[in-house]
Amino acid sequence: MPAPSTQAAASDLPTTRRAPKRTSFSEAAARAAQRLHLDRQLRFWVHELSPLSTPDRMLARVTGIHDETHDTKTFTLRAGRGWQGHTPGQFTNVDVEIDGVRQTRCYSVSSAPSSRHLSITVKRVSGGLVSNWLHDHLQVGDIIGISPADGDFVLPDDAATLLFIAAGSGITPMLSMARDLAARGAFEDTVMVYYARSADDLIAGDELSRIAAEHSGFRYVAIRDDAHDGTGGFDEARLRDMVPDLFDRAAFTCGPAGLMDRVEAMWRDAGVESRLQRERFTLPTLTDAGGDPNVERSVVLTSSGRTAEVTGGETILAGLERAGEKPAHGCRMGICKMCRCRKVSGSVRNVVTGEISDAPDQDIQICISAANSDLALAL
Amino acid sequence: MFRLQRNTQAPTISVELSEEEADAFGAELDALRAEIVADLGQSDVDHIRSIIRWCQYSEAGGRALLHFGIGPLSFVLGAGALTVSKILENMEIGHNIMHGQYDWTRDPELDSGTYDWDNACAAENWQHYHNFEHHKYTNILGKDRDIGYGLLRVSEEQEWNPSHLVQPISALILASLFQWGVAAHDLHVDEVRPNRKSVMALYERSRPFLKKARRQLAKDYLFFPALALANAPRVFAGNMIANFGRNLWTFAVIFCGHFPDGVRIYSEEECENESRGQWYARQINGSANIEGGRLFHIMTGHLSHQIEHHLFPQIPAARYPQIAERVQEICERYGQAYNTDSFGSQLGGVARKILRYALPGPARPQATAATA
Repeated sequence: MPAPSTQAAASDLPTTRRAPKRTSFSEAAARAAQRLHLDRQLRFWVHELSPLSTPDRMLARVTGIHDETHDTKTFTLRAGRGWQGHTPGQFTNVDVEIDGVRQTRCYSVSSAPSSRHLSITVKRVSGGLVSNWLHDHLQVGDIIGISPADGDFVLPDDAATLLFIAAGSGITPMLSMARDLAARGAFEDTVMVYYARSADDLIAGDELSRIAAEHSGFRYVAIRDDAHDGTGGFDEARLRDMVPDLFDRAAFTCGPAGLMDRVEAMWRDAGVESRLQRERFTLPTLTDAGGDPNVERSVVLTSSGRTAEVTGGETILAGLERAGEKPAHGCRMGICKMCRCRKVSGSVRNVVTGEISDAPDQDIQICISAANSDLALAL
Repeated sequence: MFRLQRNTQAPTISVELSEEEADAFGAELDALRAEIVADLGQSDVDHIRSIIRWCQYSEAGGRALLHFGIGPLSFVLGAGALTVSKILENMEIGHNIMHGQYDWTRDPELDSGTYDWDNACAAENWQHYHNFEHHKYTNILGKDRDIGYGLLRVSEEQEWNPSHLVQPISALILASLFQWGVAAHDLHVDEVRPNRKSVMALYERSRPFLKKARRQLAKDYLFFPALALANAPRVFAGNMIANFGRNLWTFAVIFCGHFPDGVRIYSEEECENESRGQWYARQINGSANIEGGRLFHIMTGHLSHQIEHHLFPQIPAARYPQIAERVQEICERYGQAYNTDSFGSQLGGVARKILRYALPGPARPQATAATA
């Protein structure tokens, strides 16, 4: 199984929202500078004098850090040039420099939409490089990279009755939705069921209770694993009792793979899978997708001329890294496409969708692909 | 920083390594490389960014002095600062980034795939003949076109022709226009035949060069002078001096890297089926270092550590001084000559070769002094 990714949104569809095309003065200046080979100078001086205006890169300054729980922090950011806000439920690619290497991870935006500000809520992942670094090193005033918001885990325009099923840090995209609905006074009939280990693990628990008290259209139920009356943990029947019309609602779920698999099964069995929107923070386990960790596959890297061994039970990215290679990558979960490369030959399977790619000369994302045969990659 | 003259010792000759020795030699160097790669981190990125900052500030300062200054002192300082900036950009920053030394940082500003340095040579041309031809086939006569740059005869192995008679002068011209020599190097002008097809082919492969040359000339000799209004002649002259200074400096550093006394030239047959260890040995025997202080090394882009650069072209160059001692120690144990000397001596060696090999003859420079 791959190292669990930090929390992120896992929509694989390209975004349809694009900034409208317009030529501003700064773009014209950038083009002129490029023609005279002065673009580097332009970027340097803008960054030096006004970092948040840096062209070609979207940056944000950390304006606040506060503890949500013992292992979760919220970082509030002031976005620089280019940020056009987000739709609640979307994510942004955050990039930071750790030991000189730029690392990218996706985080759901947890705040309500704003043209200037956003926040991300980050849970420490055991062994996770970026989440732990953010917790231990990021300071107020620091500047980090962000990307335009993306993702399709968003509220439909027309649905009046909603159901949110969140677990752990999977609350973050729905937190943005709830905050947005509260700010707009737009709750008609929304139920949020939030599963957490204990009361101490509830992210924004007080705020959600307050929103529920202030808005009659919002019902909030926190379910804790450590409840003494035996009502803790996820249980299909209890969920049905709590929300009898659950399958009639526009439903959203996000959380650990185990819980999401069970929620998915409920909606599938009821024949209403299309009414359930999912956001995966972690990859499904690879053996479930048919991988065999005991099978060695050799991967020829055609650009460097080197060869590495990977197993069928890991992603190609993880296997190459184990072999000492450092292929370019970002989110490690199939979203950002920074790891996309040309597969010259061989067969791979997408561990998220199960899709097989066996034709030569196809582009694959090595962070969510496992080898079905020996491979040649243009790396 | 560097001494002008020093007794040139007879260059030590490297012993031929057996296959096993070459393998062990290669393994030791591979291990050294792996050790440094594993240690790369924040300090390497901080170094290159601080050089970039110095480069940008000295360019801005130099141009400001040229544009707004009055009198000769500000002119000299301005042209000097601009020269330093151009040298830093071409050597420590551009050359090293384009080698991929900072690709591991995943910072697009430090990416070898997109970086294009600030001189007349188009990045794509340079990537081909320098990174591929020169670094792979270092000092193999007939394959490494950097030997004498197709213009000069710098070794007895090169065949003499009458054009070499004037090479002391052509070397000076090449030195002062070095960026143009580097830029035109991959165009294979010498292979053009007097027919339409061949000339058209030259035009086709010259496109990246022509595009880049046009923009570089426009920047230094039209755009900035025009911006300076009444100070245009001053800015024009200052830019020209800066380009000239950068050319002389890079020429001197680069010629000291491969053509001083004791550097070996290889034949194609010698290098057939060569092992990794033998390749390492050729890199060492085909390169020479220049001694100096930290600032000197930075101004040469650490090409003063040409040996380390040729062994590990993708390790950030600022690491070379740190590993030089260990490379030297490994070389000693395997009987490989490690050619290092002061800037003056190495330059003197190059000058002597250019003078000597202007004339035909296979004999060694010292031996022919009397008969030539």
